[in-house]
Amino acid sequence: MQTLKLLSSFLKVNIQMSLAYRADTVVNILLNFMWLGWELLSLNIIFSNTTSLGGWGLGELIALLGVFRLVNTMMMALIWPNTEKFNQSIRDGSMDYTILQPINSMFLVTFSRITVWRIWDLILAIVLIVVGINMSGDTTTAASILAFFLLTISGVIVIYSLWIVLIALTFWFTKFDNNVTILHALLDAGRYPATVYPVWLRMIVTFIIPVAVATTIPLQALRGDLNINQIILFFGVGVLSFWIATKVWKRGLKQYSGASS
Amino acid sequence: MSSNSIIVEQLSKTYQVPEREGGFSAAVRGFFKRKYKDVKAVQEVNFTIAQGEIVGFLGPNGAGKTTTLKMLSGLLHPTGGNATVLGYTPWELKPDYLRSMTLVMGQRNRLSWDIPAADSFLLNQAIYRIPDDEYKETYKELDELLELDPLMKKPVRNLSLGERMKCEIAAGLLHRPKVLFLDEPTIGLDITGQVRIREFLREYNKRTGATILLTSHYMADVTALCERIIIIHQGQLKYDGGITDLSHKIAPFKLIGVRLSDADSHDLSGYGTQVQNEEDADKKYIQVKAEDVTRVTSRLLADLPIHDITITDPPIEDVIEQAFNQ
Repeated sequence: MQTLKLLSSFLKVNIQMSLAYRADTVVNILLNFMWLGWELLSLNIIFSNTTSLGGWGLGELIALLGVFRLVNTMMMALIWPNTEKFNQSIRDGSMDYTILQPINSMFLVTFSRITVWRIWDLILAIVLIVVGINMSGDTTTAASILAFFLLTISGVIVIYSLWIVLIALTFWFTKFDNNVTILHALLDAGRYPATVYPVWLRMIVTFIIPVAVATTIPLQALRGDLNINQIILFFGVGVLSFWIATKVWKRGLKQYSGASS
Repeated sequence: MSSNSIIVEQLSKTYQVPEREGGFSAAVRGFFKRKYKDVKAVQEVNFTIAQGEIVGFLGPNGAGKTTTLKMLSGLLHPTGGNATVLGYTPWELKPDYLRSMTLVMGQRNRLSWDIPAADSFLLNQAIYRIPDDEYKETYKELDELLELDPLMKKPVRNLSLGERMKCEIAAGLLHRPKVLFLDEPTIGLDITGQVRIREFLREYNKRTGATILLTSHYMADVTALCERIIIIHQGQLKYDGGITDLSHKIAPFKLIGVRLSDADSHDLSGYGTQVQNEEDADKKYIQVKAEDVTRVTSRLLADLPIHDITITDPPIEDVIEQAFNQ
């Protein structure tokens, strides 16, 4: 409850900040629709020549695109702006104030900046997911939709955790502004389903870099390709990664307080 | 609760600083095998501060003031000793502790630059969970003392340094902390600005009974606010006591600065100890005992072609250096 209240305060402040730049908002919304058109067009080109891609149909790929956009929205609306602010606060020392606030510093660092006009991306992503699920039709059940949502949340948590770990590394190296560029490069591989890639690459993408967890696995759950054990396992991965991220963050804070002067 | 709000026992902090000689080959060597040097920033410092006291924390640059304040506020873990503030161990960072203290650093910004201070204040209200009526009351009180209203609606980047400092301090006090750690709260401000902040702190202390520990480079801040001062030098506690005792003990001197029409041809050594002042090279400074000031000044004015004469207290840093380097 307290968290929601804080979140709405952050949101308010961010809306106030972005209302100052009207033209920026309009251009960004237009750009967003352009990209979506381009992505749908390229899917269409691929499917005019074949009926499936690595065993996936058009509807499923549209839903995948939706999940991918969901993750991408998180990158753009939360990860980029907060990382920028975080890196700056390490440099100018205002991190000291962040640590001394009586709320969870991890929460404060990751949610205090929100690029609000990205709400359109969020809506688009949800529309794509719903449309995609509808198009893929017959194989989906209430249970598989539930599994899909659970694993989508779990996937988002995995990426969130990965992000925490990457920015926490800054506490050790103090100058590590590339932290998010790395994450972005990893994430881009999730745009197409992991089964398109050769086995060795899929291993990397699925296990070493747990990004596919956020995009492909929820879709597999939706198609009913996963059994209950796998669903629990993948959900467990989300919980575990969050736990690890929290530990790394705490260690990082301790490192920061040991070294700064 | 005990009447001591801050208790510091044998508090120590040692930093490990990478050490490297200049030059290219040393840089390459340092990349592979780094040498570390221990820097003892704070060494076994002891003091206690009672609830409601205002204490000035003094020492030259690098003496360990900021390090001590950071340990007391919870930002740094000490390497030895212990400290309790309001019964809490600061570096455990318990939310209840953080809600009852504040740290204001004159050289760091808490407020967002792009939005008006009013919006940052509301965010703080949410973070510190301040109920609406209590927030309004506190704000009203702060506004009365600092005249905040006209500053609240402008983006912070458009405020002057003095205006911004007022907002920064107010932002740090919205949650009515019982202990205030202030690191150079008047740095860079003009005299009027300094006086405003000083008066505010005195009044705030009187009204709320808050404990204040402040560092400052300006002797006037300290003399106006604090009855007691603590001096540290090279990480060690050198003096802890009344401010009047200190000036009797180590600063019964004044500086007389004179500008002469023909500076080089006059020897001032007969009037007092000559002191160098690099900032103001065309002026000559002599140091005399406080009780001799009137006599020496009138002699100078009578004897020499003086354009300009000033009488000042020696800078606090010099006083401390002088007292403890002897």
